[in-house]
Amino acid sequence: MRKTIAVWVIMLAMVFLFTSCAKKKPVVAPTPEPVSVEVEDVDKKVEKPALTEEEIFQQKTVEELNKAAHLKRINFDFDRFFVREDMKPILQANADWLRRFPTVEIVIEGHCDERGTVEYNMALGEKRAQSARNYLVSLGIPANRVKTVSYGKNRPLVPGVDEASYFQNRRAEFVITKK
Amino acid sequence: MKNKILSVFVFGFFLLNAILPAQEEIRIRIRDGLPFIPVALPEIAFTDQSEIDQEIRNTLHETLWQDLDYSRVFRMIPKEHYQYIPRLTGDQVNFKDWASLQARFLLTGQLEITAGDRIIFSFKIYDVQSERFVFGKNYGGRKDLIRLIAHRTADELMKLVGEKPVFASRIAFVSERDGNKEIYVMDYDGHRQTRLTNNTVVDMLPSWSTDNSKIAYTSYRRMNPDLYLLDIYSGQSEMIATGGTNYAADFSPDGNHLVYTSTRDGNAEIYVKELAGGRDRRLTFNQAIDTAPNWSPSGREIVFVSDRSGSPQIYIMDAEGANVRRISYQGTYHDSPAWSPDGSRIAFVGRVEGRFDIFVHILRSSETIKLTENSGRNENPSWSPDGRHLAFSSTRGGSSQVWLMDYDGSNARQITFQGENKMAKWQKSVQ
Repeated sequence: MRKTIAVWVIMLAMVFLFTSCAKKKPVVAPTPEPVSVEVEDVDKKVEKPALTEEEIFQQKTVEELNKAAHLKRINFDFDRFFVREDMKPILQANADWLRRFPTVEIVIEGHCDERGTVEYNMALGEKRAQSARNYLVSLGIPANRVKTVSYGKNRPLVPGVDEASYFQNRRAEFVITKK
Repeated sequence: MKNKILSVFVFGFFLLNAILPAQEEIRIRIRDGLPFIPVALPEIAFTDQSEIDQEIRNTLHETLWQDLDYSRVFRMIPKEHYQYIPRLTGDQVNFKDWASLQARFLLTGQLEITAGDRIIFSFKIYDVQSERFVFGKNYGGRKDLIRLIAHRTADELMKLVGEKPVFASRIAFVSERDGNKEIYVMDYDGHRQTRLTNNTVVDMLPSWSTDNSKIAYTSYRRMNPDLYLLDIYSGQSEMIATGGTNYAADFSPDGNHLVYTSTRDGNAEIYVKELAGGRDRRLTFNQAIDTAPNWSPSGREIVFVSDRSGSPQIYIMDAEGANVRRISYQGTYHDSPAWSPDGSRIAFVGRVEGRFDIFVHILRSSETIKLTENSGRNENPSWSPDGRHLAFSSTRGGSSQVWLMDYDGSNARQITFQGENKMAKWQKSVQ
């Protein structure tokens, strides 16, 4: 008897359960708003290690290296070829760079302003190039890495006829020929 | 001997010039020191007018006229005076007519065109005072060589009076008209300019060989200033000195040696190269700059520049390098010495108060005369073969151009106009 009662109770409960469900109004679920998610390139966020100067150096051609002007030019006093005090730090920096890249070979070009004569300026340009070279050698750059050439007053940097232009033209330029 | 004559000539020149020519019988050899020789140059005759290009005839006459007028040997009797004289017919010259114009020489010419583009120019030189035919010649050549034919004719007249020919000489120079410095050559009057090098780098400081067949010059074509020898007929350049800077070459008068500057031993020094064997002999040995060597016409001495005293000055040494003596004392900066063809003087560039001018140093009197004044930067003097003129570069017109002037600084005229032009070097003789 007890068993039948229990069965009835269960059944009733189930009927109740079903009817109560059926009574609920069917609700249409609203379309969810699209969530905009920014897709990021994860690679971008990954911090790449910066190229070392050595790697940059490896990638560049001799022309590009010269264009990048790693080696700065120095200027001279009128009719003189000794290295001015204020130009020594530039030569020091050039020497440091040359030490860092020991395969580099350079030519130092000696130039003059137009206030000298053709022949004498050829000799003066040579002395300027040599004095810059000697200074680099004194800083430990092997002499065989540095050649010199004089352009006299054949290749002025700027065309002006004032002292500022002349100063710019009285110069030694450091041209990389081999890396 | 020639030196003495020329120094007399120089001092007496202007005084004598004003005096009318002496009436003594003309001698064919007329030396310096005498006044200009009056020359009449009537129109060039032609065999058949229809065949002769009027322009050629005019070019011939004008070129000949300008040469003689420029010579400082001859004086041209103005064309306007010729109209009073009956036209020349054939070889019939009425000398009295020309004598009335005070002509000493009469130069007549006849031009004809032969097959193709060939022309023949026949000229005759008459001595008006002694009423006789003196000299004549026929020149044949292509039409486009008309200027050269005129120059050669003018040179014949020079030779006739004992002067060195000069008008057929050429001038080598450096031009940047094509964007970089190349070697060019032109007639002494600036016509017929031709480019000789095409190295697209810096080519500079040309210098003629004694026989005019070669030009020594400095080129950066191998990225270093090396000395080259250019054969102007084949156009081939041969490198003859390298290592350091090699430049400022000058051929010895005998044509066998080349004196030049090189820094191959670490400092600008002067070397003499034996052209046949290529062997070098070093002439200077010191820590100073020694440069710009130039032979004396005798070949026994060399003038050069050195800053051994602290500033660039002019020195002379024996051709072997000994017996060095300084000749410039005024001013603090001198360069580019050029020994005159008669040996009597040395032209050079001097810088005084920042200005560059051409000076001439007279060896006998140790006098120094300034030839240019207040006229831009003046550089690289080079003597004409007869020593009466100098080519030089000047910036007086704004850009650097080649100019000529007479040995006394007068009569300056510009002969180049295209691009920048400099480092003119006159041939040492007409071949």
